[in-house]
Amino acid sequence: MANRSFQGNSATIRVQRFNPDVDEKAYFDEFSIHLEPGTTILDALREIKSEQDGSLTYRRSCRHAICGSCAMNINGKNMLACNQPLKDHLDRRGRITIRPLPYQPIIKDLVVDRSVFWEQYQRVKPWLIPPQDVPEKEFRMSPEEVEALKDAEKCIMCGACYASCQVIGLNRRYIGPHALLKAFQKILDPRDSVPGERLAEVAGDDGVFRCHTIFNCIDACPKELNPTQAIETLRKLAQKRQAFEAMRRERQKSLIVSTPTRTAEPSGD
Amino acid sequence: MSASETITHDIIIVGAGLAGTWAAMTAGEEKLDIAVLSKVHPLRSHSGAAQGGIAAVLNNVRPVEGTGPRGPLEPIPPGGEAVDSLDLHMFDTIKGSDWLGDQDAIEILVREAPEIVYAYEHMGCVFSRLPDGRIAQRRFGGHSVPRANYSADYTGHVLLHTIHEQALRRGVKFYSEWYCMDLIIEENVCRGIIALEILTGRLYTMRAKAVMFGTGGYGRAYKITSNALANTGDGVAISYNAGVPLMDMEFVQFHPTGLYQKGILMTEACRGEGGYLVNSEGERFMERYAPEKMELAPRDLVSRAEQTEIDKGRGIGPDSQGLHLDMRHLGEQKICERLPQVRDLAMKFAGVDMIDAPVPIQPTAHYSMGGIPANSNGQVIADTNGTPVVGFYAAGECACISVHGANRLGTNSLLGASVFGRRAGRTMAEFVKNGAELPPLHDDPAKHNQARIKHLMDGNPGSNNHESVSQIAEELKATMTQGCGIFRDEERLANALRKVKELQERYKSARIMDKSGRFNTDLLEAIETDHLLTFSEVIVASGMARTESRGAHYRTDYPKRDDENWLKHTMAHKEEDEPKLSYKSVNIDWEKFPPQERKY
Repeated sequence: MANRSFQGNSATIRVQRFNPDVDEKAYFDEFSIHLEPGTTILDALREIKSEQDGSLTYRRSCRHAICGSCAMNINGKNMLACNQPLKDHLDRRGRITIRPLPYQPIIKDLVVDRSVFWEQYQRVKPWLIPPQDVPEKEFRMSPEEVEALKDAEKCIMCGACYASCQVIGLNRRYIGPHALLKAFQKILDPRDSVPGERLAEVAGDDGVFRCHTIFNCIDACPKELNPTQAIETLRKLAQKRQAFEAMRRERQKSLIVSTPTRTAEPSGD
Repeated sequence: MSASETITHDIIIVGAGLAGTWAAMTAGEEKLDIAVLSKVHPLRSHSGAAQGGIAAVLNNVRPVEGTGPRGPLEPIPPGGEAVDSLDLHMFDTIKGSDWLGDQDAIEILVREAPEIVYAYEHMGCVFSRLPDGRIAQRRFGGHSVPRANYSADYTGHVLLHTIHEQALRRGVKFYSEWYCMDLIIEENVCRGIIALEILTGRLYTMRAKAVMFGTGGYGRAYKITSNALANTGDGVAISYNAGVPLMDMEFVQFHPTGLYQKGILMTEACRGEGGYLVNSEGERFMERYAPEKMELAPRDLVSRAEQTEIDKGRGIGPDSQGLHLDMRHLGEQKICERLPQVRDLAMKFAGVDMIDAPVPIQPTAHYSMGGIPANSNGQVIADTNGTPVVGFYAAGECACISVHGANRLGTNSLLGASVFGRRAGRTMAEFVKNGAELPPLHDDPAKHNQARIKHLMDGNPGSNNHESVSQIAEELKATMTQGCGIFRDEERLANALRKVKELQERYKSARIMDKSGRFNTDLLEAIETDHLLTFSEVIVASGMARTESRGAHYRTDYPKRDDENWLKHTMAHKEEDEPKLSYKSVNIDWEKFPPQERKY
């Protein structure tokens, strides 16, 4: 249990290690590092790797919570390593336990095989399918319609939600909170012309009706997104598929606005 | 070790950010066999870290009349007069580049901009919107009219995800977590690359009729940088080693607002939306450096102003190396709506809520104007005459065309990567369709790289005089920051060059601990460090030779811009002891955009 009042100046980092090529099973290594104010969990891993054990393996890139590389399991909860202060996750004895994201085969140490995660993402056709008629300029998507996406476009595909979902733990075919959130983003986007098809797909066997509203996904999300709410919305829409499709067709009529010629048209000469 | 396996494609693109993905999609329209390699999963590419916006003349907004240069903006009503023009965008970019930008390329950049932004939007990119549904625009440094098309403060993120989604739709093949280690060029013809499959550690010789690099920048040569850990300038170093010259390497952009001591980017849009820069005396010091544009002067100017304030003892923070970015007067609503990501970053990494308190910031190594010289069709050139390197292309931050010249304007990078990535894709497709043949390979090109890997694993850091790679990398970053930063002079540059060469020598005795083949990031980081050492030498040497100040390259011993002697691009070819420098002329429309004094 994390206890914020740990006062010491060195931290004990317990990390799960496993190289399938040489190890029979996973085991824990313990490292001690000097605790500085502002040290993040990723900082600690980097320090261990450069000064103590170069073979400690993890994914990382941006270190400011936008690339989605460094999601891992900290003291039993999934989160990004780069934006978490180490001291917030130390117990009374100054220890933290780091494991790879659950429910996925371990490639090495904290690196897991994300193939199924990415397959499910592709399964929901994460690309927009616009109408045949495309305007000369932008589609007129309103600020309210952007709001209605509930920040789904902010998702960095880090996988923290996916690996927190107990349905995933029991059923690898479940599309998963990440892909369903992406499907939600596309279905709610007025520029997408196939919401009916999309709803049919996510309302199928492996989709929104498999969610058990456990809410772990919301807890885990570093961007404070709400896959459960998105899934709820999709469940409702799936039951009114044709009406939603009709509404979309209607809406798309006004998405394209012809723009009158302006004075002083910008030109290249 | 056995000879590596060979994989063949029509086109191989290294880098899955905006430039690489646009190229893949565009070339992919011709139904060619295309592969995109990325050392990180494509969605982890650094294009996604861009925040503020992508520039294009859309004429969606204008300043409210009579409210001054920091006043509110309003939508331009239908039939209303345009306030922006391609000429204006072009002029702003040219002036921002301190007249080192090639104007023919800049003309293409600004002309294709609206079409690219609308293309993104048609592909489903989520933009912030005006009440009538048009794309919202904001002010940005160095732009005389608000033309930064934005998505809150995570524009790069939405663009990257959108283009990647579209690439998946088109069936683009991604080799995710494959690392390009080397480039094969013989007799000025590019024949392929050597790639390391990170998962297994196996080397592959990858042959293609055309190879493109979209490998990004090199901020990690510096201590305080906005760049991801992955930004180690691999493409740039690898090209240099293969005999391709590098251009304008001395021009490294320092972004004025990285989080203090961390370097994490706080978008220029903070200032675009009205934020102030304040020193320890509570003064809005930009008044003294750029009285008209103030905080929205171009980045090189603002960073120099900041560094001057810091050097004069008016910095804040425990080591007085920071300054304040004050956003409080924007108010909670505007901050939460337009700048949610950076607000969160300031809270998480600086412990400060910008709604209530000023954010501590300092200049951070941010963008590489220099890189692999390419023309506006993405074709890499081998010399100052523009001789093409057959079958080799480059676009995005790793390339130098040059549209950004000596200093890049914010929001022009997302634009440049998209525009020139697309053009490179088109060029490669044409090249292949016009009957380009797969160039032959002579002997096993992977041998050298296998030896490289073996060498790094032959021993352990800390024993037998073997050094650790991270120690060398730390010293390099300190050297570059100290000796080749915002303010440079002959002595500091010379010391930096000496030190870089010493580190290159010491690198030969560096060893790694991890000897396994499987997902060996110890090995990866070691090779990346080798690359940092390679191009750092070019940056310093180019900077030493340029005895003037222009854009981001500022010499305290040569503080003036010298058009008579220095209105030219630096080209550096690899030679035994030191880079061989030559110079290439700049394309200038002397009637329309002749060089002027650069004041803001």
